[in-house]
Amino acid sequence: MNAPQPNLHVKARGSSELARIVRVNEEIKAIVATAFRINLMALNAIFLAKRAGNAALGFGVLSNELRRFAQDLTRNMSSLRDMTSGSVGSVTGVVQYQRNSAILAEAIRLSGEGVPGAREARRRGAARLSAQQGKLRALDIRLRSAVEETQQLVELGGVLARSAKIEAAYGGTFSPALMQVSTDFAEVIAQIKRSLEILGKERLVKD
Amino acid sequence: MKQAHCIFEEDDHRWLAIARDPSKPGHIIDTNEYVVVKGKEALLCDPGGIEIFPSVFSALSAECDPTRLAGIFSSHQDPDIISSLALWLEFKPELKCYISWLWQSFLPHFGGEESTFVPIPDPGMTISLGGLELQAIPAHYLHSSGNFHLYDPKAKILFSGDVGAALLPADHNGLYVEDFGRHIRHAEAFHKRWMGSDKAKRDWCERVSRLEIDMMVPQHGAIYRGADVQRFINWFSALEVGVLRS
Ligand SMILES: [Fe+2]
Ligand SMILES: [Fe+2]
Repeated sequence: MNAPQPNLHVKARGSSELARIVRVNEEIKAIVATAFRINLMALNAIFLAKRAGNAALGFGVLSNELRRFAQDLTRNMSSLRDMTSGSVGSVTGVVQYQRNSAILAEAIRLSGEGVPGAREARRRGAARLSAQQGKLRALDIRLRSAVEETQQLVELGGVLARSAKIEAAYGGTFSPALMQVSTDFAEVIAQIKRSLEILGKERLVKD
Repeated sequence: MKQAHCIFEEDDHRWLAIARDPSKPGHIIDTNEYVVVKGKEALLCDPGGIEIFPSVFSALSAECDPTRLAGIFSSHQDPDIISSLALWLEFKPELKCYISWLWQSFLPHFGGEESTFVPIPDPGMTISLGGLELQAIPAHYLHSSGNFHLYDPKAKILFSGDVGAALLPADHNGLYVEDFGRHIRHAEAFHKRWMGSDKAKRDWCERVSRLEIDMMVPQHGAIYRGADVQRFINWFSALEVGVLRS
């Protein structure tokens, strides 16, 4: 009916925060899934070690340790997940405030800067936005330290996987099977490390 | 760009029509917003959607100090009526929003706190504005199940929400209805489809016929003046509504 005027659409900048929190959640989900896999793998390894008997006593001990590791990892990740799922509210708040203040800024620009009430509205908007961003920043710090803690845990998992590889060499006729299992362990742990690295780099709010 | 036109002025009592926006994107329905100003207070009727907020705000600010806004009158709950609520509140958090009690808990999805909303009971209510007594007139089921119009007995203006709305082609951009017969063709399909109840329609026609109305100002399309007001009421009362196809 009427000619479109593109500058009527005020683009909000905030939606990248929501995209970031989605990425963080996806990464956490990936690690949780991998931890579940390690748990199953460790269970299989424990049975395998039992079948191998005396030749795989050390391997059996390590498999138990790996299983405990997988359980610790799952616990860590679920507390990470609680943190981020609670933050969706704050992120949405930021997105909404940013969008609203962008549209209001456009309205004030169209009306001329001298419009009564403009300064107060802008100040109020900025204060609310920074309060929400403050919440996100605090969460960011908690998230980062939780990721670091998990990284240390995964280092331990890496050591366990390497030791399992060494033990596998003494597995006699079971050696190739044990070697395969320990290689699998090392691979999934490397995968978790990569995910944690990505997670450690994500920031819920830009500085 | 939208512009505010003064359609009534008597001392410090004014009605502004922010009407017909030729620059608005074509996929958004064109809306009219109205501002009643009395002394140091102003009431904004059906402020419109999020997309058009900047242009409504600037049109309003050009004619009236926006900090004087005391409230928003929302005829019903539609997005083209009130989805900009959060933005008006962003500008002035203490604004009151008058809306049918029926929608009181729905509107917070657009924004606002519990204290923002003033529920209008079904029979209507008086809304005071700078000493003026505006009347919220029931218009339920026309088209919304909780729907009000706003009557200013002093200015003799009836803000009629979607009733009287016309979806006009781009070249019909006058503020007022000039040729009722030509105009009403663009209102017919809208009223047949949007207005759901014949009984509600008859009730409304009877109710507003008792009011003294110089101008009937709808949320879409042009303003009815003088004899065109009664012409509209007669036309509407004879129209078959609540039909899917004409
Ligand atoms: Fe509507
Ligand atoms: Fe409408």
